[in-house]
Amino acid sequence: MNRLQTKLKQLKTEEKKALVAYLVAGDPDIDSTLELMHLFVSSGVDIIEIGVPFTDPIAEGPIIQKAHDRSLKHNISLQNIIDLVKDFRQVDTSTPIVLMGYLNTFIAHINLINQSDAIGVDAVLVVDIPGELELSNYGITNPNIDTISLISPTTSDERIKQITKNSSGFIYYVNLRGVTGSSNLDIEEITSNLNKIRTHTNVPTLAGFGIKSYEDAKVLAKYADGVIVGSSIVEMIDAVKDTKDFSKIKEYLEGLSRAIN
Amino acid sequence: MSINDNFPDKNGFFGDYGGKFVPETLMYALDELETTYNKLKSSPEFIDEFYKDLSHFVGRPSPLYLAKRLSDQYGSGNIWLKREDLNHTGAHKINNTVGQILLAKHMGKKRIIAETGAGQHGVATATVAARLGLECHIYMGTEDVKRQSLNVYRIKLLGAHVHPVDSGSATLKDALNEALRDWVTNVEDTYYIIGSVTGPHPYPLIVRDFNSVVGQELITQSQALFNRNPDAIVACVGGGSNAMGAFYPFIEKEDVRLIGVEAGGIGLETGEHAAPLNDGTPGVLHGARSYLMQDEIGQVKDTKSVSAGLDYPGVGPEHSWLKDTGRAEYVAVNDNDALRAFHEVTKLEGIMPALETAHAFGYLPILMKQLGKESNVIVNVSGRGDKDINTVAQIDGIEL
Ligand SMILES: Cc1ncc(COP(=O)(O)O)c(C=O)c1O
Repeated sequence: MNRLQTKLKQLKTEEKKALVAYLVAGDPDIDSTLELMHLFVSSGVDIIEIGVPFTDPIAEGPIIQKAHDRSLKHNISLQNIIDLVKDFRQVDTSTPIVLMGYLNTFIAHINLINQSDAIGVDAVLVVDIPGELELSNYGITNPNIDTISLISPTTSDERIKQITKNSSGFIYYVNLRGVTGSSNLDIEEITSNLNKIRTHTNVPTLAGFGIKSYEDAKVLAKYADGVIVGSSIVEMIDAVKDTKDFSKIKEYLEGLSRAIN
Repeated sequence: MSINDNFPDKNGFFGDYGGKFVPETLMYALDELETTYNKLKSSPEFIDEFYKDLSHFVGRPSPLYLAKRLSDQYGSGNIWLKREDLNHTGAHKINNTVGQILLAKHMGKKRIIAETGAGQHGVATATVAARLGLECHIYMGTEDVKRQSLNVYRIKLLGAHVHPVDSGSATLKDALNEALRDWVTNVEDTYYIIGSVTGPHPYPLIVRDFNSVVGQELITQSQALFNRNPDAIVACVGGGSNAMGAFYPFIEKEDVRLIGVEAGGIGLETGEHAAPLNDGTPGVLHGARSYLMQDEIGQVKDTKSVSAGLDYPGVGPEHSWLKDTGRAEYVAVNDNDALRAFHEVTKLEGIMPALETAHAFGYLPILMKQLGKESNVIVNVSGRGDKDINTVAQIDGIEL
């Protein structure tokens, strides 16, 4: 069992929900990312999701797109991100790390990803590969790395069956039709789809996209095994990129953590 | 080499190229489109409807015209022009939009979206949407909004909304990103008319099929006008739809050279161009694996071309396959040579080609040297040049 599976199992036994927090590596700079990752953990975040910047992030709304652009100004590559994770692991050996990005950047670093478990990453979420296919189809064959698949409101029952078969780690339920940072949560639809997914798999199912307020997180945590929060954190990081005073982010994450448990 | 009805394969691959690399939300829409298209493409009523529109709305068949003075200029063989510039709205793009709007109608979609670079696809989409009274949104990079302002106004006159896109390089690739984001958001009631043989499966197949009418006509016209197959067909390649439409019916006729001309920008050796087949490596962008202009860490590079319609870092997957198998040749013509060809064809033939098309003409000096006096070369005149007058005037230092 890797860190991710261990963590999810532990939360389940404690009857707790997972808080997953997202940031883009290198936004505003790589040192701040490292600092933020530790701050995430000390604020109650269970799993860190690191966005791998890409020039053409088609699933992202304007907030996260701009974060990708800021990171790319420093030419942040997957190699830099692996180095970042290595630094993080000097201090923190237990918090699971998921890389979220687009196929082209992963393919460009396939040897790096396949190296060994020593890279300190627990799972990979590739936004633009169809969920019923496996990462191994694209050369990602590291057995220590889980595959996080997406299921969305438009996924057919048949696809849900196939996707759940190939998922390890957790299933990422996309709350809405739209890009990251949108805001039109339909709680009824979400709960009905989460229930449907549960009939096919025991893999924990976490809900992401469109979660901003404590109330959003609280409601969704009732039905999902955890919540994933991205754009609102990235927006807060951008707001303090000059002062680097991250205290508001800490406050926000602590609030989310309380709201879901 | 043989092609068959199973190409691309059921997952949308031409060899190693193509596929469906999209966020999960769009998978259902692509499946729906594929099912609809597979059903309709063999339906006699649908085919009849499509060809009727091509005749009466687009004005097909387009002529195959002997460019006498241009041929004399090179002195080696006949240069024939496939006059896609004479189509309604002024480019080959209308062949595809006329077909796809029929799919949208059959699927009951109420809202049409599209990306555009040169604006020709935007105009062609806004045109067919107007004809059916459908709401239409066109995404266009702010760079292109500036250099193709005439087409922007045409799109607006046709009642469509133009959304300028300022992200990234603010050109065609970014317009495509934004159109895909719109589609993810409005997937249920929206039909996305992609403008080239790019994007996820089944688009490369659908756009190729609708444009293949060009190549089909060329087979008949070549027989009628010079009683054999042409020695070569030359077409510019942005995403590759006009080239694919002209090439496709000739793929198995191996005596015909198929030559795609990419945008060489400032020059291939400078890296400042838009020629992925000449100077790119395979990668994944906009839903398909294909040749791509990218750096060593997998980021997509900015492109450079005087022509907005060719200013794109990717290319349709079937072209990547044709390149690797050697069935088609891909060359690049830089900005200056394309501009020279633009003036040459305008003066010698009284035909003002689009700057995209001018790239195809720009390869004639090299090609005609390789051919004998009896040869027949077809240049696919993908569009007319009115939209580029501002750009050309500016380069020539003329204030309009
Ligand atoms: C006249 C003309 N030719 C060619 C192109 C390039 O597209 P494709 O390579 O798909 O034919 C465009 C695109 O805007 C165009 O307007």
